[in-house]
Amino acid sequence: MSVPARNPELVVDGFPPRRPRWVEIATSADHKDLGRVLIAGALGFLLVALAELLMMRLQLAIPENTFLNPVTFNRMLSLYGATAIFLFAVPLALGFFYYVAPLQIGARGTALPRLGQIGTWLFIAGATVLYAGFLFTPSEAGVNPLPPLSGIAFLPNNGVDAWAAATGLATLGFVLLAIDLVATLRRLRAPGMAWRRLPVFSWAATICSWLVLVIGPVMLAAITMLLIDRNFDGIFFAGDAGGSPLLWQHLSWIFYSGAYMLILIFALGAIAEIVPVLARKPLFNRGAVIGSLVAIAVLGTLAWMQNMFTAPIGIGWMYFAMAMSLALIVPFGLVFFNLIQTLAGGTVMMRAPLLFAAGAIVAISLGLAAEIEHSMVAVGWRLQHTTDSTAATHFALVGGAVFGGFAALHWWFPKMTGRTMGETLARFSFWTMLLGALVAFVPLMLAGTEDGQVIDAYKFFGGAGVTTYNLIASIGAFVLAAGILMTLVNAILSRDGGAPAGHDPWRGDSLEWFALSPPEPHNFDLPPDVRSARPMRDIRQAIAHRGARAERPAGESQPVA
Amino acid sequence: MAPHSPGTDQIDILLWIGFVAAAILVVAIVGGLLYALRRFRAERGAEPRQITGGRGFQLRVGMALGVFAAAIFVLSIVYTEKARETPPTGAAGLQVSHSEPLKITTTGQQWQWRYDYPNQAFSYYKLVVPVDTAVELDLVSTDVVHTWDVPDLAGKRDAVPGKTSHVVFRADQEGTYFGQAATLSGQAYAAMRTEVEVVSPEEYEAFVEGEKKDIQAAQDHVVNLIENGEVP
Repeated sequence: MSVPARNPELVVDGFPPRRPRWVEIATSADHKDLGRVLIAGALGFLLVALAELLMMRLQLAIPENTFLNPVTFNRMLSLYGATAIFLFAVPLALGFFYYVAPLQIGARGTALPRLGQIGTWLFIAGATVLYAGFLFTPSEAGVNPLPPLSGIAFLPNNGVDAWAAATGLATLGFVLLAIDLVATLRRLRAPGMAWRRLPVFSWAATICSWLVLVIGPVMLAAITMLLIDRNFDGIFFAGDAGGSPLLWQHLSWIFYSGAYMLILIFALGAIAEIVPVLARKPLFNRGAVIGSLVAIAVLGTLAWMQNMFTAPIGIGWMYFAMAMSLALIVPFGLVFFNLIQTLAGGTVMMRAPLLFAAGAIVAISLGLAAEIEHSMVAVGWRLQHTTDSTAATHFALVGGAVFGGFAALHWWFPKMTGRTMGETLARFSFWTMLLGALVAFVPLMLAGTEDGQVIDAYKFFGGAGVTTYNLIASIGAFVLAAGILMTLVNAILSRDGGAPAGHDPWRGDSLEWFALSPPEPHNFDLPPDVRSARPMRDIRQAIAHRGARAERPAGESQPVA
Repeated sequence: MAPHSPGTDQIDILLWIGFVAAAILVVAIVGGLLYALRRFRAERGAEPRQITGGRGFQLRVGMALGVFAAAIFVLSIVYTEKARETPPTGAAGLQVSHSEPLKITTTGQQWQWRYDYPNQAFSYYKLVVPVDTAVELDLVSTDVVHTWDVPDLAGKRDAVPGKTSHVVFRADQEGTYFGQAATLSGQAYAAMRTEVEVVSPEEYEAFVEGEKKDIQAAQDHVVNLIENGEVP
């Protein structure tokens, strides 16, 4: 007589690989493979962006330095901007969304996998174009290449064309990925996974995908116009021929403002997954957090003219942009309030993801608080275009993409690889990064506010009172880079050498923890049945309940499964 | 940096208001976070309380934040409007321009600033203005976008080709004020500096007349050369 297993479990071994792993990944349309390509690519470009940042900080360590000549500095600056935004922050966020969201909604894949595949490889193609341009002449037009400087008359070499082609390809890729995510989140949710039960990170994925569908085409239009102006005698941005240089500023700032919000929504979405689970409490008010994330996307993008207070636009438009920016205090404040209220009364497990999440909240709040000053029109006239704006943006985006991104990395790394990242190295990395960020950016804030040090300049002068600030900031940048490097090393070492994690290492609430670690190609054998906003907790409780029944004295009949 | 014009006085006040508002929010968020993380550590061994907040509570917190934001908004508009005002020329100022500000066309070009005074005199790099006099700079650009920024005297403004922007200030003290262009404009951007020399009205008159004579003399010299056939 055979004895049925008390807790029967479906275990499926993967199909034997037919081809080498890299061929499998390069030809895969599976959201997990593509998500890993996006995340790994983004982290690789984080390293490149860091190298460029450090080169610039070395140049700016002492007054009137000659380490980099002006042209090289402007090329570094242009590459750094494109790399940090288009090749690191946005693809990192989309990569996590693309990997995690289908698992969280209990889907077996994405709705339009080939679209996601094309999108991912367009991002790689854009990155290749940008750095193939590095071999001949990178752009010299800065982070945001404003016409007429980026026009053919002032930069006749093909650097700006390479920049435009690279960012255009990457942006097109993001739009295709966003279409796939929108379709997946609308159509492929598991039975019972109503919108009101959707995990916050999947909500963030939905919001950010729609946001990309709004801002991506705007940037593509601007880039197309720039290419037409440069190569086919267009006049879109030619002020004397009926076009307007301000048109580029409006279009590009819509994209950059939206992308800024995307990065923050990604970070807050991930933090809102981590905090409740590690505090062992439900999110204090899910509806308020989700509604706030929607408001952040809408208001933050509408505030694009906040970046144009020095431009010749009407004062009414400036007040409108200020109203939108200041209104952001409400949704951001509500999200932070709810996260802190979620911690209150819980049992807080201070693991690496929560540490990085806390660091992200600190850095983001510092950056956004400084942005409040930049949004106040008259103060904006003083502070914008100074290193204070560099520092504010870096606090917010390093907080979102690096601290928030690393929180997400530590959180979902066990799901992706089956292993946890080393906790000790994570702690060292975190404290080094936090120290580095504060030491790197606070002096820049002071230099900008007190002495008006301007942005993007390849040198500063000794008599301006900013010498000490810049030296300290350069040292801080190296400390920050060392901390970031530790986490990247940690990820590489833990990929094969980390402690085995099991399928649900954090005792999570959402369905990605129901899949194996790493998940099978089809994600789930059985589509999970969703009854609440915390389906994985329900499943765990059901198993515990069944386990308790199984402990009853012998003699009673036991149903199998 | 110290404000030396009515406009920058207002900007300075608003900057402090913004700093206090930002500091309140940072202290509240970071303080609350650190308190919650320390107070509710798992090691204390309590059961997590499965509580959530109701809609009314969220509404009240949202309203409080909204009132805070609205207050900053109103204060910003009040002080921005004050900073935008063209100040009247004072008693010690250039009396010719008593009813209207002294208009100086300011042209940004790679990589210097050119100042055109009302009497056809012009100067590069250094702007000379009379003290206690309302000055309006009409900013234009001949090539790319430049930003004129002398933080002691006025907020910064872009010179965009095809558009004119305006900067107004009234320097309250004689002296030299430094500034640096604040939008990346190409290779020598970091060296694109400017200097505003604030002098007494008499010295200003003497300066622009002297410049005008020098320019006239240089032009006459060229005309002479051409007439004498020394220039083909």
